[in-house]
Amino acid sequence: MEKEKLESLLIDYIDGNLNDADRATIEQELAQNKSTAKLYRQLKEVMDLMANSKVATPGLSLKQNFEKALQAEISKTESSSSAEAPAKAGKQVFFKPWVLRAAAGVVLVIVGIGIGDQLNKSRQHDLEVAALRKEVEDNKKMMLSMLENQQSASQRVMGATVAYELPKADDEIVNALAKAMDEDPNTNVRLTALEALGKFYQQGHVRIKLIKALSTQKDPVVQIALIRLLVQMKEKQVVNELEKITRDGNVMKAVKDEAHSGILKLS
Amino acid sequence: MKISRALTTDEQIMEAVKNGELQQASVLFDRYNKRIFNFLRQLTNDSMLAEDLAQNVFLRLIKYRNSYREGNRFQSWIYQMARNVFADHYQSNKNKAGSHIDVEKMSDHISDIEENLEEREQLLHRSLAKLSDEQRELLVLTRFQHLKYEEVAAIMDTTVANIKVKVHRAIGKLREHYFELEKS
Repeated sequence: MEKEKLESLLIDYIDGNLNDADRATIEQELAQNKSTAKLYRQLKEVMDLMANSKVATPGLSLKQNFEKALQAEISKTESSSSAEAPAKAGKQVFFKPWVLRAAAGVVLVIVGIGIGDQLNKSRQHDLEVAALRKEVEDNKKMMLSMLENQQSASQRVMGATVAYELPKADDEIVNALAKAMDEDPNTNVRLTALEALGKFYQQGHVRIKLIKALSTQKDPVVQIALIRLLVQMKEKQVVNELEKITRDGNVMKAVKDEAHSGILKLS
Repeated sequence: MKISRALTTDEQIMEAVKNGELQQASVLFDRYNKRIFNFLRQLTNDSMLAEDLAQNVFLRLIKYRNSYREGNRFQSWIYQMARNVFADHYQSNKNKAGSHIDVEKMSDHISDIEENLEEREQLLHRSLAKLSDEQRELLVLTRFQHLKYEEVAAIMDTTVANIKVKVHRAIGKLREHYFELEKS
């Protein structure tokens, strides 16, 4: 059999696209001919590699930019369609003397401009608020799903970084970040989560989570960063916990030193 | 919201977008962004560039929504746009640089995609780089993106038989390059 024809049949065979007769021919050929068997193995190897090649996920900005462009297009379309909308034909009113008609016209134009301006302003404002709200909501969803990405630590770090950029953190975000800080297997993720929580320190529930973490956190790198943060925030109520750390035999020396210096600064 | 009907197929959604329900474009974005990004990533060997180009594809979807023709498959339409975006990019780059893409160099160069791959998959990407643009694109569509020959024929506006012959030849060539590179 000519090589190209054989190769083509083997590819169809691997793809499962052969009829019974052709399949039987190929199987016989494979059993009898070593070079065909080799060709088959090589084709199968490259075809399997292609079929199982890794699928990548695009970055967050792709979605964000698309949504922005879409909202811009929606606003543009809405404003142009409202401008083009034909005025509904109402009952015609005639003023006999032309002076009156002209005056009525001028009044109408002025009133129209005023109303239009007001409507436009409030509509524009509503649209902007809605777009902004949606953007914040999208960021939040994306951040939560990234933080939960078990396969990729870098995605989780990015998730925590997105959280850092949010203007305000609600309970869901704080809980996800606290969980990442406490439980994530990767130190970088834990540190970034801590950093993000640090930004929302002014929110009462965040402060409580951070103080609690001081007694539960076991990763020395995160412990040191946490102590620094709490000391920087002048959180005096952690002095007792810091003293406990200095007495704990299982804690690394570097962490103890940080706790000592924290106690000095706070008292 | 105006959208109360349950829109299921890509074509129904695209029709709605065309008829003014622009927000529905988000659904199409969610369904296709990963595929289009990976398609462009395989063609360019560059994730950052692929993201920029994918961005362009979806912007075109919004901008040229009126050029979508009823009854046409949405998938073919969006892949055609992706191919155009890719071609435009290389055309303008060529004009700017005044030079052609050095295929030989491309196959020796370790791209950002390859950095995280296993040895065998790296070998695969180097072998792919040695193929002609058309062969590479055909393999990306049929083998990496798992599109059927019929679908690729619709995208490239040719017959199924023609696509099948070309894909089989491309696989044959790829096998040759792969095992040559493996030996060296």
